[in-house]
Amino acid sequence: MPRVDRAPPSPRTVVVSGLGAVTPFGWDTSSTWNGLRSGKTAIGPFDRFDHSGYRTHVAAQVDLAHAAPRPRGKPARISLADRYAVCAAREALSQAGLGGGDWTRRAGVFFGSSTGGMLENERYFEALLAAEGGPKRRLPPMSILAPQQYNAPGDAVARALGIGGPVQTVSAACASGAMAIGDALRAVRSGEVDTAIAGGSDSLCRLTYAGFNALRSVDERPCRPFRKDRAGLSIGEGAGVIVLEPLERVLARGARPLALAAGEAATCDAFHMTAPHPQGAGAAEAIRAALVDAQLDPGDIDFVNAHGTGTPLNDLAECEALASVFGERARQLPVTSTKSLVGHLLGSAGAVEAVATVLCLIAGEVHPMPAEGESDPAIGVQLVLGSPVKLERARHALSTSLAFGGANAALIFSRPPRRNDRDAD
Amino acid sequence: MPESPTIRSKIKSLLVSALRLDGLAPSDIADDSPLFGEGLGLDSVDALELVVALEKEFKIPIQSHEVGREAFASVGALAAFIEGRLAAAGNADAAS
Amino acid sequence: MRIETVVTGLGTIGPYGFGREALAKALASGKPVASEVDRGTGWHREGGSRLAALIRERDLSRWIPPAAARRMSFPSKLAVAAGKMALPDAGIETVATEGGRVGVYLATAFGPVHNTEKLLRQIFLEGAEAAQPFYFSECVANTPAAQLAIAVGARGPNVTIVQRESGPLLAVGRGAQAVREGRVDRALAGAVEEIPPLLHALLGRFGALAHEEEKLAENPRPFDRRRNGILAGEGASLLVLEREDAALARGARILARVKWSGGAFDATAGVTDWGEGHDALAGALRAGLQTAGGIAGVSAVVSGASGAKRGDLLEARVLKAVWGDLPLPPVMTPKAVTGEYGGGTLAAGLLALEGAALAPLPEPPEIDPEIGFAQHRGAAPENRARVLLTGLASGGAAAWLLLERAS
Repeated sequence: MPRVDRAPPSPRTVVVSGLGAVTPFGWDTSSTWNGLRSGKTAIGPFDRFDHSGYRTHVAAQVDLAHAAPRPRGKPARISLADRYAVCAAREALSQAGLGGGDWTRRAGVFFGSSTGGMLENERYFEALLAAEGGPKRRLPPMSILAPQQYNAPGDAVARALGIGGPVQTVSAACASGAMAIGDALRAVRSGEVDTAIAGGSDSLCRLTYAGFNALRSVDERPCRPFRKDRAGLSIGEGAGVIVLEPLERVLARGARPLALAAGEAATCDAFHMTAPHPQGAGAAEAIRAALVDAQLDPGDIDFVNAHGTGTPLNDLAECEALASVFGERARQLPVTSTKSLVGHLLGSAGAVEAVATVLCLIAGEVHPMPAEGESDPAIGVQLVLGSPVKLERARHALSTSLAFGGANAALIFSRPPRRNDRDAD
Repeated sequence: MPESPTIRSKIKSLLVSALRLDGLAPSDIADDSPLFGEGLGLDSVDALELVVALEKEFKIPIQSHEVGREAFASVGALAAFIEGRLAAAGNADAAS
Repeated sequence: MRIETVVTGLGTIGPYGFGREALAKALASGKPVASEVDRGTGWHREGGSRLAALIRERDLSRWIPPAAARRMSFPSKLAVAAGKMALPDAGIETVATEGGRVGVYLATAFGPVHNTEKLLRQIFLEGAEAAQPFYFSECVANTPAAQLAIAVGARGPNVTIVQRESGPLLAVGRGAQAVREGRVDRALAGAVEEIPPLLHALLGRFGALAHEEEKLAENPRPFDRRRNGILAGEGASLLVLEREDAALARGARILARVKWSGGAFDATAGVTDWGEGHDALAGALRAGLQTAGGIAGVSAVVSGASGAKRGDLLEARVLKAVWGDLPLPPVMTPKAVTGEYGGGTLAAGLLALEGAALAPLPEPPEIDPEIGFAQHRGAAPENRARVLLTGLASGGAAAWLLLERAS
């Protein structure tokens, strides 16, 4: 068990004041929420790149035909991941009611990305390889390569919003987005910043699509987390952003706190690069530590937005972790997987799932997974299938992220304190 | 039909090169020593790494579910598995 | 009472060799530890950079057994070796028993980029089905941190920060914060980088690298009027961070106290360039230092200036704006020796605190009139109570770290 010897009790209560999302369901949170409630998966055929020579042929892609306007900047210098990030950040900011003013000076960006502008990088690389084979060794303009860096989406957000505080990008594979939000929570709580724009963004690219295929981790069909015949994950793309602020600042502005950012924790399995710890030991430890951070007991958690990738090993390990933390109650604990609907958004998965978790808290219901298929009897939790489940009690929710390299992150969100509900009414 | 000794030695060379078993000579690997756990100490990623190398070397597709412990238990078992697949492919060719 | 985070150990690997003595020797020589880059990819520009601060001694079997090494990319090996060097330097035999209370905070700009290149080559030239799992699992940015965690049994937070030149300082800042807030008892924090030939060629094509010009040899010249780019460098540096009371209780040698860390963003910066927002950056730095005793206490600056034209100018303007009418303390530029990206500033900053000398460049400096000062040369400054480390990243992010001598 983690020791409870945190330095003096947290001086600031941190709340979520804005949400933004770009997902395969659409370019904002409302279309995303409608998609999630429908329980119909957005995973299917895709054409982001030519995958005819690949082992599998499904993914969840963002519809570019209905894209939000591009952010300013030379088009070649803005990757798809940058566009998703900036669009989601603008939505979150507008919901938070943060417009003009000098809030940007004490604001920071905490972002996660696993591949940044890899899709654009690949375009450059393909041309480079073609040139290596051909007679003329001419390269495409370097500007195509400019946004390839991991830090580009977070920087793009900071640049677009004119942020003046710390900017930090975490790349911890599939836990990047959740870890970024965890860092943001710490930064607001400690007073390092007054506003944190936190989230993650990733786009589909050949590297991850071929890579996960090489690991035989991609399902030929849309992924089926926790189901008996699950055979791997499906890759998706998009961005999720949340705005975190101290409660007083949100109330003083007359804005509505959407949720309490109650707790976070991160751990590492230190077990294997690609396989999770079979008993989910690191994941369980992250959940326990997040509960301690939020000053909650396992019994307080009303539902779980699981990592739930759909790979046979991950889902089992995750259920072991839930069983070890929640004991017998795990069997009644409503569990859903956002990945069953939008795919695995890799570096932004934790961020989009945090957005989904808060949306569920606000609505007092848990979004479902697709109804089709048979549940795995080895999975000892209450899966939410087919249609949303209205909760009698939706006070505290847990979102988990279990990454490549054994990195685990857990986030806990709560309904805002009752006082604020009244204030908001 | 016992599999050909060249398949075994090809597999051993692949093991050393594809899995970067520096300091090990192909001839150091016994036909029956286990590839996983004790023996060579390979893991699940090594198995997949080996699959890619085998697919390239022998020009045969290997399905995920075939990457089981049985066929991949030892060099000998793997050679028998490959031999079987090659024979099947040969028959299919002959039939077509 | 404020809980202080201290540095008790350092592991460093670079073109200078293994360990602090090797680094100190290189810094005292003042010469860039550069060697010829393999230009066999054919993508190096004519007349462009030919040098990089490359690790020549690549045998790390002292720290990594072959069975583990074969599963690692070069950056993973560097991180593991530097981490395993840092722990005994801190007088710590193992952290595995208390592993749940040990975190890893590692910065990298490009990650295991050589494997990324190899994987993309396979995908495009041989087809996606030929992609080797190893190149994928060992090209992801967080694999060095994860491998380090596996190697030493660190089961606390495992954080990989990808923020270019500011990453190493952010990583130490985050690690120190986690220690201070009691989330971990110990942290391994630092940076790792590799510079394979193609990356070097592309950095050259971006115009980022120092190169020969007329009679001018290829050298990184931080703050100098003639500077024309950076020396790309590889290596790993890892610091052991822990609570001061815990370090004292176990009789550990304390290398430095982490007095303050902070960051800011210059929104005027381009995607791969530095901007002109020195006033805002200076405001953030001044405010941050104010919480830790103000600028009066800063006795030296170990600057991230690297020879980048606009980056060094921005750095100089920030420092001059912060110090205003007061004289600038000595400004040291270890990247002139270690090159950019490998976390060399971190290790050099610690050594500067201990009094390591940073010899002048082989040639006399030429002051850039826009900058108005030259890097500190020669023996270590006499007063080195507090050293400010700076890192301004292309793209806009800035980070700072204030280290204090513990004695």
